[in-house]
Amino acid sequence: MDSSARTRSLAAIVLVAGACSCSPAARPLAEPAAARVQWFGDTSPPAGQVLTFNNGAEPETIDPSKMSGQPDGRVARILFEGLTVPDPRTLEPRPGQAYRWETSADGRTYTFHLRPGLAWSDGTPLDARDFLWSWRRALEPATASRNAGLLYPIEGAEEYNKGTLADLSALGLAAPDDSTFVVRLHTPTAYFLFLTQYYTFLPVPRRAIEQWGERWTRPEHIVSNGPFVLSKWRQGDRFEFVRNPRYWDVASVKLDRIVCFPVDDLNTSANLYKAGVLDWTTSGNLPSQFVPYMRRFADFQSVPYQGGYFYSINVTRKPLDNVWVRRALNAAVDRDAIARDLLKGSRIPWGRYVPAGYPGYVPPPALTFDPRRARECLAKAGYPGGRGFPMISIIFNTSEDHRHIAEAIQAMWQRVLGIKVELSNQEWASYLQATTSLHYDIARRSWIGDYLDPNTFLATMASGDGNNRTGWSNPRYDALLHAAAREVDAAKRMAILRDAEALLLSDGPVIPIYHYMTTDLVKPYVRGLYPTPLDTHPLKYVWIDHDWRTRPAPVALEAGGGAAHAGGPPARTLRAPVEPGAPAAQISGARPSVPAAAASGTR
Amino acid sequence: MLAFVVRRVLLFVPTLLAIATLTFFMMRLAPGGPFQSEKDIPKSALAQLQRQYGLDRPLGVQYLNFLRNAAHLDFGPSYKFPTRSVREIILEAFPVSLELGAWALLLSILVGVPIGMFAALRQNTPLDFAAMACALAGVSIPNFVLGPVLVLTLSLGLFLFPPALWQGPQSRVLPVLTLSTAYVAYIARLTRAGMLEVLRQDFIRTAFAKGLPDRTVIFKHALKLGILPVVSYIGPATARVIMGSIVVETIFAIPGLGRHLVNGAFNRDYTLVMGVVLFYATFLMLLNLLVDLAYTWLDPRVELA
Repeated sequence: MDSSARTRSLAAIVLVAGACSCSPAARPLAEPAAARVQWFGDTSPPAGQVLTFNNGAEPETIDPSKMSGQPDGRVARILFEGLTVPDPRTLEPRPGQAYRWETSADGRTYTFHLRPGLAWSDGTPLDARDFLWSWRRALEPATASRNAGLLYPIEGAEEYNKGTLADLSALGLAAPDDSTFVVRLHTPTAYFLFLTQYYTFLPVPRRAIEQWGERWTRPEHIVSNGPFVLSKWRQGDRFEFVRNPRYWDVASVKLDRIVCFPVDDLNTSANLYKAGVLDWTTSGNLPSQFVPYMRRFADFQSVPYQGGYFYSINVTRKPLDNVWVRRALNAAVDRDAIARDLLKGSRIPWGRYVPAGYPGYVPPPALTFDPRRARECLAKAGYPGGRGFPMISIIFNTSEDHRHIAEAIQAMWQRVLGIKVELSNQEWASYLQATTSLHYDIARRSWIGDYLDPNTFLATMASGDGNNRTGWSNPRYDALLHAAAREVDAAKRMAILRDAEALLLSDGPVIPIYHYMTTDLVKPYVRGLYPTPLDTHPLKYVWIDHDWRTRPAPVALEAGGGAAHAGGPPARTLRAPVEPGAPAAQISGARPSVPAAAASGTR
Repeated sequence: MLAFVVRRVLLFVPTLLAIATLTFFMMRLAPGGPFQSEKDIPKSALAQLQRQYGLDRPLGVQYLNFLRNAAHLDFGPSYKFPTRSVREIILEAFPVSLELGAWALLLSILVGVPIGMFAALRQNTPLDFAAMACALAGVSIPNFVLGPVLVLTLSLGLFLFPPALWQGPQSRVLPVLTLSTAYVAYIARLTRAGMLEVLRQDFIRTAFAKGLPDRTVIFKHALKLGILPVVSYIGPATARVIMGSIVVETIFAIPGLGRHLVNGAFNRDYTLVMGVVLFYATFLMLLNLLVDLAYTWLDPRVELA
């Protein structure tokens, strides 16, 4: 999901990335109540099992097939459950509505077996046809789903979405019986099981949608299949959820109620948290200048977030069409200075396009600050010492942080390369218009990963991709991405992606600047909520510990009924099927076909 | 009087038409559109959305459709929140803004008028200077400063009130205080000036001369005229306090209408902006009409024409 599917004001908020380049390791939220540990504000738990949190903004829609914003996604994941669900710590796919699945040898066919006795919150049975209908709906042109592209690995999906598929049976989805759902992909998609937990792939209630149309998401009409149901929704004010008694694993759901507010003012959010009104503020809802101060508190959770802040270069304009100019601009950016001095160490300087932390991905060497090389490159481009270099401009959407960074880069380019740059800040919609229509020279951009695979970043720079927005097109790069998509061997595939990123960095249509960090605040009594690289948090396992002061963090409980950290070997197919309806804990060996989570050493 | 009211209400129509037209075309002139986002929206989805909302038709046709629907108070669904109609959003958010504004206005009048009278009756005494100094400070401190200061002291410091959100009577206190301070101060100054002018007039001297008690002279004769400037100020002030509390709504995370107007403009949510602007315009004109009617009651010399 992108940082801006939220409102304009939130786009600025995304800048608020957190800190702590020193300790990237995920710290469990609730540490034993040691004497030295400081907490920010009120630490008395609420009465009962109620979690109150700030979602950061009012969701635009809570229809999973249509949404594209992070606040929207959070609500969807509370209400609905997909075939797979993210592990609360690692986000790796675990069995959800499907209790097991098989992958064919060519990696192109996934057969999901649904749990028996699944039901919607209104009591009607949920079967494989519900998934078939929901996924088709997400692809139907009339639905106008913003994220339909994520379903394109499915055979015939792209054609169907674009209205060019003549025969519906050519769409690679089938429900041969009530409990079996078969997906046929056109290329083996290594990260497919990450996708099946993404909100666009969630099942939606056909009957309610056919009966109520757009208004099916209202509390009085909505039907869902996840751990919670919607009990109240007042726009701009709050959402309230209560436990879904018909959820298959209701015994593991510990919270009785969840309340979420759409507070978009960062200071207000911090105030509410301090006063104890909120138990949790989601990442990005802390003013960036608070970050250095907040580090002393154990509430503050900050881990590398799968998001990057970069400048994109419009390669269709002179002199930026010259690769040596782009290399010069890249080499003249001192990322360390920006992250260390300007942003007070609250972000990680980052000289690559793909962020850190993708399991199995060994990244190419990072771009570095090298004034001499920068001057050489500029000379090779025909502008020795910056002579004859035309004035170019940097555009950014209105925000203090964006302005400061742009000013710093303007000064660096002036000092190192001797070229003149003007700055132009634009209101959000104008800025989007300028970047999408390539009416700019250099633009501040950011990208947040959708799923835990480098492809979610690298695919944006393919020729003609709507998120490319640089005019850059390199057939070799496209060929590498295609080769990676077809590659079944995980290690080989990662190596191809690495080559693609190396090519991208060398061609320089983007100037990576820094790596986002999450900035959650979590009260000590909230258990089972872990920092994750996509800031996705399955709330099913979260609970309120009223005795947190005397009790050390109960690890077994925190893992959500022991959900699955056994970590089996990477496997294409699952191990022997287990009894249908077995609780999650017993089928925890169900690791999907992702490479082992080896530390990638990208930092 | 009835004829006056009818005439004024009829005048609403061309005014609203002009406002609607200006807003419609200004919104469309602004770069960008309602369906853009930082993440690419597929071309097929964009085309579908534009078709669905009629944005693929010529601008003139869109304008006429909009006018026809607006005449029926139907502004269609919000572009940003497609499951909500604009009418629904207004009906849900306006009562919140109205309540916030009404409390603030009530407080401003109940505190501002007595302070102004008090200062006028003790003109040029230290008490007068003190009251007017406070009023000057109240007018000068912007609410985006006052709000956080109140939160910091009364909420996070003394734990008297919740720092934000709109739930329970206690949550009203800080936003109402923040919103009303400037109005308290301004109303106090207006009242003082109005009272000073009236107190020097002949009919007041006559009233005192014929032996009426001070209280009767001041409250029955002087105050009625003395607060005329306040009354004429209250019309636009009411509109501002109710519709324009965007800063207070943001600081205190209040689900009111003011934020919809501003965010709607940023999001290019054409329908929401049109709906809120026309609602605001109508509201403002109605208030001005009420002020004019109030004038005739307070000052017999005013005639409705």
